[in-house]
Amino acid sequence: MKRWISVVAVLVLVLAACTGGTTEDTTATTAGDTTVPETTEGDTTSTTAAETPDTTGAPAGEADGTIIIGTTDTIASLDPADAYAIHDWELLKNINEGLLRWTPGELELTTGLATDMPEVSEDGLVYTLTMREGVQFSDGTELTAEVYAEQLNRLLTIGPDCPNGVANALATPFLESVEAVDSSTIQFTLSRPVAYFPQLLATAAYLPAHPDTFPAEECVTFPEAPVHGTGPWYITEYTQGEQTVLEPNPNYNGELTPQVDRIIIRYLSDPQTMALAVQNGDIDIAWRILGPELVGELEGAEGLSVGAIDGGSIRYLILNYAIEPMDDINVRKAVAAAIDRDEIVDVVYGGQVEPLYSMVPPGFIGETQAFDDMYQSPDLDAARAFLAESGYDENNPVELELWYPPEHYGASTADWMQLIEQQLEATGVIDVTLQPQEWSTYVTALTGGEAYAGGVLGWFFDFPDSSNYLEPFVFNGGLGTMVTSPEGEPINDQAAQLVDLLNEASVELDEDARAGLYEEIQELYADLVVTLPILFEVEHVVPRDGVSGSDQFASPETLNIGPNLEFYYSVLSEN
Amino acid sequence: MSPLAIIFLIIGIPALIGLAYIFVRGSAGLRRYILTRIGLLIPMVFILASLVFFVMRVLPGDPVRSSLGPKGSAETVARMREQLGLDDPLIVQYGNFLVDIVTLDFGNSLTGGRRPIVDEMSERFPATLELVIPAAAFALAIGIIGGTLAAARRKRPLDYALRLYSVAIYSIPVFWLGLMGQLVFGVRLGWTPIAGRIDPVIGTTLERTTNILWLDAIISGNWPALWSSLSHLVLPVVTLGLILSGVFLRLTRVNVIETLQMDYIGAARARGIRERIVIGGHALKNAIIPVITLLGLQVAILLAGAVLTETVFSWPGMGQYLVQRISSRDYTAVQSVITMFAMLVALISLAVDIIYSLVDPRVRY
Repeated sequence: MKRWISVVAVLVLVLAACTGGTTEDTTATTAGDTTVPETTEGDTTSTTAAETPDTTGAPAGEADGTIIIGTTDTIASLDPADAYAIHDWELLKNINEGLLRWTPGELELTTGLATDMPEVSEDGLVYTLTMREGVQFSDGTELTAEVYAEQLNRLLTIGPDCPNGVANALATPFLESVEAVDSSTIQFTLSRPVAYFPQLLATAAYLPAHPDTFPAEECVTFPEAPVHGTGPWYITEYTQGEQTVLEPNPNYNGELTPQVDRIIIRYLSDPQTMALAVQNGDIDIAWRILGPELVGELEGAEGLSVGAIDGGSIRYLILNYAIEPMDDINVRKAVAAAIDRDEIVDVVYGGQVEPLYSMVPPGFIGETQAFDDMYQSPDLDAARAFLAESGYDENNPVELELWYPPEHYGASTADWMQLIEQQLEATGVIDVTLQPQEWSTYVTALTGGEAYAGGVLGWFFDFPDSSNYLEPFVFNGGLGTMVTSPEGEPINDQAAQLVDLLNEASVELDEDARAGLYEEIQELYADLVVTLPILFEVEHVVPRDGVSGSDQFASPETLNIGPNLEFYYSVLSEN
Repeated sequence: MSPLAIIFLIIGIPALIGLAYIFVRGSAGLRRYILTRIGLLIPMVFILASLVFFVMRVLPGDPVRSSLGPKGSAETVARMREQLGLDDPLIVQYGNFLVDIVTLDFGNSLTGGRRPIVDEMSERFPATLELVIPAAAFALAIGIIGGTLAAARRKRPLDYALRLYSVAIYSIPVFWLGLMGQLVFGVRLGWTPIAGRIDPVIGTTLERTTNILWLDAIISGNWPALWSSLSHLVLPVVTLGLILSGVFLRLTRVNVIETLQMDYIGAARARGIRERIVIGGHALKNAIIPVITLLGLQVAILLAGAVLTETVFSWPGMGQYLVQRISSRDYTAVQSVITMFAMLVALISLAVDIIYSLVDPRVRY
């Protein structure tokens, strides 16, 4: 026993001696420094072991201009030809700049690498853009139009075979070719006009990828660090499930100049843990995904501020036209009339989300309140009247199964599904059976269109345009709505009209005319009850005091994160 | 060389040397026993791996659709299934799977970017080792000390209190205990970090060899990283260790009480040996053998990951990984991980039995 005590005592003394005293600051690369920090190619860890930062008692990142962002997202792919998740796009848009991008904090397109907005041919099939001069990747490799065009062609050639296989859908249906006219001019040729093509140019799929890291013939979902780009940052190292480290691109010559020396994205498993971490100072910013109960808790916490962003993510019921009783339009209309969205918003979310009366959220072109105009729900009398037309009454109620994934969209999904059950049963003519189902099984069955009469889904746009909130639920099976068949055949004349209107709107280049078309589409959509929009989520970002966004852009209180949820790390600064 | 390979070498080489020594110096019966157990390992792993193969394919859900979510078109899903060989006849898939087991080819995951599974396990398994081993040691220490004290003070207040503790601690959900620890020690008192394995900034200075961070810190002489990784270990290790300690405490108590009733203990007391030495020096030595057995099995099970602890503390270990991969129907990842763990559990179980026979000369095979 005495021997063990001695051993432990010696160890403690040795450890104490070794860890005593402060340590030196790191010399992180800052914007404007033309020397790229020395990290070994393929080494996912920093090799600067000799100099270490002082963290004694300081809040996370304070000592050396580092801001730590906590998130429950994970990296799924860093290849622009493959990446499709919100976090992947966020990283890619910070390490790369595309021809066009969004102005931080708002839904306004602006130039990125391009010197001006695209020149569009009269027939709407050719888009020409000129790149600014002197664009380089963070390792000094020059980006010419030839390189850019070659990299963009990956989307058309290998994109469909990449692991996620979805990003290419933003190009392959209509993009015929991408060519370099000269060393600074790129030309896109489309097979048909696409009204929202400029928005597509601002997506991550159209970002330049480093030719050495991302070869033309192969998808590279997890390239070895450092990951170079043309944007204000580059990734110096990343470890799945732990953190991603970004430092300023020394060769960046654009407008979004970094304000700090380093950004660290800290991956956390659980929103509760993230909430505690931002309170503790382990992280400087909590970002995605905080539930309403955690937001309420953080709003009262000292040293924190909570920014609310009306962020484009919606929740809706998906109703299958091919399965009883949802093949009956009166049942669909009855459900639409009986739902009380305000009750869901108040009871389940404490007002932290917004009710949604059209699949197109507020702020998007042509948005209306179509479901409210048509059904003015909750209107139980109207619901009963619809059902009576189909012969349903208290003695012969509608038997309706509603399925939902209890874990995928957060714990509150079960709560508002139970509330919907009560609301529908309040008609006295609908018997609801709720069926929770684990996500993997659920999404396979739901999108296959064969299993569930009704279910829940969430949606976030690929690009901020009304078409992206409507077309996926109509064309080719409609992700399980079956308002058209998987082969694209409309189920009735109204559905055929809807398809025609959507096709017309997608090629209409006049903004006002487009808006008018989308208004008409939403009315028809509500009449068919293709899907039933329920709520519009509000994202929250929680920075600690001392971390702020930029006053140059809109919404500094939300760190300049706008409705498109684009988070540009360059706006961040420490006070 | 991947961190996983390094760890297996660090553990495997001494284990092999030890096994060779035991084989040479041990009895014929022990040699036969070891060979039989190793021989049985092969069919055991084969049967388990096959079971996992078929169960995963029977489960509803699809790895491709699970990965793509609702956004992938039916054509995209069909194309990717073909790419991944998921449309091949089941017998063909099974044949390929058997070849992979024999050649220890773990392949690539079907979801999550199709990374090599070895790379993913190289990141996760060391994190699990880093958590589980000290947690088990902590649980063992609490259990042995507490159980011995309870046995020595049998039917007195301390005994009752410790027995109550052992039941209560085992009943407490680990995630609740973890959250309370984070709230009290992390947020309110500011004594410990909330989550993760190391301070994010210090983490950028650490060169990872084994991916066991405190070990890598020692290897590279990075003392701030050592301190940071150890301080990040405190809460999760204490949380998991406390939950496990209840079982060890009760088992130790029962075994010590039983041993204290043996004749040789009475003889020792009659010779005037102090009670502390009777209990600690004589009774505990014999009582602890079943506890060691339990420890081995507990560690083997925990190496598959302590999911809830990992989730609460954002500890990127095997537990979370396995749950995520099962949820996304990642057949290859689940098959590979479970096959590997089947082998590990079998080997650890064999090691425990060998140690048992070495510690207790009455045990003969």
